[in-house]
Amino acid sequence: MTDRIAVVLLLSVALALAPATIYAGTYHWVDEQGTVTYSDRPPQPEQTRAPAPEASPAPEVKAPDAKPDTSPAPEVKAPDTKPAPEAKAPDVRPALGAKSRDVKAFAPPAAIAKTGPTKVDELLELSGARTQLVGLLSGIAGQLRPARGQMSAKDQAAVDRILRQALRHEAVYTLVRDAFLLQVDRTNLEATAAWLRSPLARKIVALEIASSEPGTEQKVAAYAAAIKTNPPPEHRVELLQRLDWATAASEISADLAAAVSRGITTAVSAAGPAEQRLRPGQIEDRVAQVRAQASEVLREPHGAATLYTYRELEDDELTAYVLFSGSEAGRWYNTAMRKAMVNALGKAVEQTAAELVRAVPLDRWARAATPAPQQVK
Amino acid sequence: MKALVSAVALVLCTALLAIAQERPAPLASDLDRAQAAFKAGRHTEALALARRAADAAPTSVRALNARAGMAEFMGEFDEARTFHDRAGALAPDDPDTIDRTASFAVRMGEYDRALAQLDRLLALHPRHVRWLFQWAPTSLQAPLLRDHPSLERIVQIKLDILTEKGDLDQARRMARAYAIVQPGQNYCDQARERSRAGAERDEIFKAFRLATLGQPDAADCIWWYGQWLSDEGYVRLGRLMVIEGTRVTPSAANKEGGARYVRIRLGGNREVPKRAEQLFLIARQRYLRDGDVDGAARLFDESIRLAPAFARPYNYRALIAADLGDREGALAWLQRALQADPDSWRTHRNLGRLFETLERYPEAEMHLRRTVQLFGDDAGGRLALARVLYAQGKYDDFAKEARAAVAFLANWRAPVPEVRDFLAKFDRWGPGAALPPAPDPHVIMGWNYD
Repeated sequence: MTDRIAVVLLLSVALALAPATIYAGTYHWVDEQGTVTYSDRPPQPEQTRAPAPEASPAPEVKAPDAKPDTSPAPEVKAPDTKPAPEAKAPDVRPALGAKSRDVKAFAPPAAIAKTGPTKVDELLELSGARTQLVGLLSGIAGQLRPARGQMSAKDQAAVDRILRQALRHEAVYTLVRDAFLLQVDRTNLEATAAWLRSPLARKIVALEIASSEPGTEQKVAAYAAAIKTNPPPEHRVELLQRLDWATAASEISADLAAAVSRGITTAVSAAGPAEQRLRPGQIEDRVAQVRAQASEVLREPHGAATLYTYRELEDDELTAYVLFSGSEAGRWYNTAMRKAMVNALGKAVEQTAAELVRAVPLDRWARAATPAPQQVK
Repeated sequence: MKALVSAVALVLCTALLAIAQERPAPLASDLDRAQAAFKAGRHTEALALARRAADAAPTSVRALNARAGMAEFMGEFDEARTFHDRAGALAPDDPDTIDRTASFAVRMGEYDRALAQLDRLLALHPRHVRWLFQWAPTSLQAPLLRDHPSLERIVQIKLDILTEKGDLDQARRMARAYAIVQPGQNYCDQARERSRAGAERDEIFKAFRLATLGQPDAADCIWWYGQWLSDEGYVRLGRLMVIEGTRVTPSAANKEGGARYVRIRLGGNREVPKRAEQLFLIARQRYLRDGDVDGAARLFDESIRLAPAFARPYNYRALIAADLGDREGALAWLQRALQADPDSWRTHRNLGRLFETLERYPEAEMHLRRTVQLFGDDAGGRLALARVLYAQGKYDDFAKEARAAVAFLANWRAPVPEVRDFLAKFDRWGPGAALPPAPDPHVIMGWNYD
């Protein structure tokens, strides 16, 4: 029984982690203490007391246009390994023009003036990781939540409450930041921050955030269908493959699926009868299998999603991104981020799953996972 | 009158004893269930049921033999000895009981005791059969052994004893004398053929054993037999066979390879008592086959106590510790293994891989370098080393090691497409963010397990 539940949860979560299927309505607002909050839901009244006009989910914020503006392409160099003391204050203009996108609400990465050593929070803000975490958590919560009608109303309410609490963006973000802090290398951090403050990087981050918006799933699917008849040029595909090589993005997706799998399997196993509990080594064996499956399952959607996400970048812009990602600073950042996300999400999911199976016993999950018998006509 | 009473009492006692021995009701159920559990692979349950059956019927030879056999199978050797002895005391002339006792003695390395049991077994046969067995020409032995399977058991057990004692010449003479092997037969080719045809492991093992007995010059087959035994955990006999194959081979390179194999794979000339070896073998089965972590750990510990310089059980204790999520404990066990045998290739390999998972790359590199230095054909170890080098940014060294492993594996028809693909991208685009894959293909017999 334990196995069946874990498999049901894992497969769905692994699929949910495909970049093309991440669903996120991204809102952020600032409360009266100045704390920035990210969520896939609009702020509730109790969360933003007396919101200032700019503290609301700002639907009027002009999203960056995905198309490059007509100004000369920014000269972006891959940073070397040294900090960039002359790194200029970021261009706070909307980097790509102010043409409004047809999106519900999302904010471009905030422009943060560089006035001293970059903090990890700033880096995670600049990179869009903080914002994109909302979508990721929303995707995981969505997959952990049984479809309506599969559980009793009481159990469903308990699950909803736990998912809301345990997968809160700020809580998980704190885990990510703490895990990231362990990886900090000041030289590489400053070089990464310098890159992220560049107009091109901000444009790229905006595109990445945009691709985690609600509705992206359908758009990617349509795009994937379109490129089957009208495939992109080979050099473009290779450039994106090279980007994936440099960032290990598809590996990170598989790692995240594995981390989620580990968290769920650990919690579900611990909740089962003592004689059926898995040893950590057995859990790792299963996680390795899930990772391999996820890697296979995610390959195609990942390719399509990547093409879609960066479709409006020029080749030279993409090349600059590849160059940065392949630099020492880029590799450091991607590795550190990968470890931080895997670590944080693994912990958060294990804790969440433990609470879920505590609130709703395994047998009731098993019933929820079993398709309802068909009515005999 | 007194005599009559004594006679009646004697008859009654005998009758009661017979009834007690064959009392079926409680016995049949527990024993049958024990045997059913055993056949189904539920060995721990089978032993528990056999214990209950033997306790309930302490004078049932069948129950005692079942308990002794299952305890022996589970590595509970003291218990096995006790119940073999009890069964033997109750049925001193039962051929099956004697056979079991002799086999157990061989397992324990108590060869004189085993030979005494075999003499008793032989003595149970009619005088003319014994005479034929001892004096008849070879041409009559094959039909004799066919008609009397217990005689063939005697021969086979004696062959094992002679081989284990290192007296291969005597074992070969005996095998020829009893027509176990025939002159002019190419057992080595037959064994290879069976191996190629994918026969059962036990069948292949028997075929190479025959080759060793029947073809003293077949260095490759003897060597193969030794490596097969090594893989299965029979380090003592494996060592003897590898040494014999090395002695016989005319190739200087093979001689050097054989000596190295004994040193880095079989602990050199470190003595491993038979009981320690058998405990290790059974503990490994209990862990890998039955998932019996506690039982296996206890037997590994006993094996270590009996043979402190035997590296393999330490490695398995490390594996169990890692399996239980205790990586520091695993490291400690591997460090102990290295103290016991600094040239243990497997220990360096396991240490390297464990340090790699802990992201302690310099230490991982040190042990993996030693691993491939000890055994240059260890492609899996080389790929692990390549990964560790890459993780440290030593890209040129990575490429060199990865290419060497890929080339080696291609010769063994074991392509590693994921590594090839990684290398192609690395050559084209330079270092990426993901670490290279490090699969561990098992391609060389004799190096698969430890």
